[in-house]
Amino acid sequence: MIRITGLSKTYASGTKAVIDLNLTIEEGEIFALLGPNGAGKSSAIKILTTLSGFDNGQAMVAGYNVDSEPNKVRQSIGYVAQETGVDYFLTGRENMKLQGHLYRMTKQDIISRIDELSSYFDLVKPLDDLVSSYSGGMRRKLDIAMALIHRPKVIFLDEPTLGLDTKSRHSLWKYIEKLNTELGLTILLTTHYLEEADSLSHRVAIIDAGQIKIIDTPETLKSNIHGDVVSLEFAENTNSTDELSWELKQQDFVKDTVWENAKLHLYVNNGAESIPKIVTFTNKNNVELKNISFSRPTLDDVFIQYTGNSLDGNKEEAGEQWWEKWAGKGGGGKWSNKWNEAEKDSPNSVENEPKPDEDWKKWQSSEKNTTENTSGKSSGNNDWKKWQNNGNNDTKWP
Amino acid sequence: MIADTWHLFNKYMKISMRMPLWSLFSLVQPLLWLFIFGSLFQNFAHLPGFPTDSYIDYFVPGVVIMTVLFGSSWSGVSLLREISAGTVDKMLVSPASRSSIVLSLVLHSAVQVVAQTLIVLLAAWMLGSSLNVNPIYILLAMLVVLLLGVAFAAISNGLAIMLQREEPLIIMGNMMTLPLMFFSTAMVPKQFMPEWIQYIAMINPVEYAVSSVRAVLVGEVDLVVYSSGLIAILVFAIATLAWAISAFKGLRD
Repeated sequence: MIRITGLSKTYASGTKAVIDLNLTIEEGEIFALLGPNGAGKSSAIKILTTLSGFDNGQAMVAGYNVDSEPNKVRQSIGYVAQETGVDYFLTGRENMKLQGHLYRMTKQDIISRIDELSSYFDLVKPLDDLVSSYSGGMRRKLDIAMALIHRPKVIFLDEPTLGLDTKSRHSLWKYIEKLNTELGLTILLTTHYLEEADSLSHRVAIIDAGQIKIIDTPETLKSNIHGDVVSLEFAENTNSTDELSWELKQQDFVKDTVWENAKLHLYVNNGAESIPKIVTFTNKNNVELKNISFSRPTLDDVFIQYTGNSLDGNKEEAGEQWWEKWAGKGGGGKWSNKWNEAEKDSPNSVENEPKPDEDWKKWQSSEKNTTENTSGKSSGNNDWKKWQNNGNNDTKWP
Repeated sequence: MIADTWHLFNKYMKISMRMPLWSLFSLVQPLLWLFIFGSLFQNFAHLPGFPTDSYIDYFVPGVVIMTVLFGSSWSGVSLLREISAGTVDKMLVSPASRSSIVLSLVLHSAVQVVAQTLIVLLAAWMLGSSLNVNPIYILLAMLVVLLLGVAFAAISNGLAIMLQREEPLIIMGNMMTLPLMFFSTAMVPKQFMPEWIQYIAMINPVEYAVSSVRAVLVGEVDLVVYSSGLIAILVFAIATLAWAISAFKGLRD
């Protein structure tokens, strides 16, 4: 459905957006481009959606050449941008109608399609309200509905849940999944949320600094990092923790031990089986445990392995200011260079990039504390799922 | 392309109909000028060689053109708003004609400006200016207004694409409109101008607009002056529009 070979693009400002990209996405696949801000995810999507040009290589979408047959590509794709592309001063229906007209659909077809999509996305009631009264989640749903109006074969979702609260995010995931399973849509999405790539996509490409580091299923990527990690925290008046860590290290089931301040991380083959053994050891050594937890490796760990960076420490949003994103290879470069320089001098300009990320992280860690304080006893299936999804933010791999 | 332009134009009209106050807002300035300058320069009309009996009669075409300049040189701001809202990208990923995106914005601005000038004419009439209130002459004047509106909206859109930011666009807009006003016969008859300004006025499109509007609305109708001015503005509008469209296309690929 999508085939990219040797794709490269350098912005007029000299920023290398994508470097020698090679990628094939099959029909009916949900494919995620995972990477920090400025990794080149959006640039890749802009090229594939004919929004910007490229310097080298070839890109085919739905059987058409992006460079030489842009209108045929446009007719067969839907695109949901990072900034919502809905007009706030129009109603939901008017937005969809205009979109239908731009795709040269007949009036009759537009009307029936609006009915279909609005009920699919649960937007029937607010359909005739101005979009400015919509919530963020509703706007995003409308945006996706608009992108689907002409029945595309592929849709591109650029950070589809950026800036949404957790509830709307999860509900949107369900819609996206449904689009794939029920309508057979091929979906290419970019995200810097690990959970999103993990739970939605069939395959993930980890992209950093314009290059694809690895492509595989989330499961395979995670299983490439062997075993689990068990983290121990000790009560304050415990002394013999060093002996304990030494003793544990001698055991066969423990592959490695790493101290992170007062926390001890144990790398084991099977977390669930090792916990009772570890508890036995702590009892034997009269070490009082405050907290014990274990987690599966997450995509974050995979990410660290392939890029040497954590996704948490988001990089500066380089080369993705809207005017740069917007300016293709033709013009704009000279001017945007100048603006970039001006930007650097004024620290508090245009830095209003929303930080939903942090809220999410906060929510995560608070959630995690409550589940973890069960001191290793209960790990019912649900808790386990939660743990897995929550990731292990405070566990740093060596 | 025509259908795309029509649908997009409709969208912008819908939006401005929903916010009529916003469109009226840019009327405040020309109306103030009409009132203040009309009173301030009242006695100009007594000077020997002044073409009309009352200054306000002379000034009305100037205010009409001023309304056009103030109204349409904002058009690029809407384009920038649309770009940052992501709606332009939405249009660009569709097979819609690229030209129609600029064309619809420019046309919308021009039509808006025609509505505004009609209100200015009404105000001038209420202030007691003796205009040629023949519907045909008003229509002819509006044709000039529409074309000049297209031209300045196109310039504003082209600048918006080049500058890619609102602040410098607004500064450029002001820098452009005010001198063009003063280097024309909007306020002062030609014979009262220093010679060098007269030369500048000869290549000033605003001057052609002012004089052709004046030729049909004030005093004796002079269709020769009108049509030569109209042709000049038509050429100007086509050139600026072509420039804006090519700037818009050039950005992407």
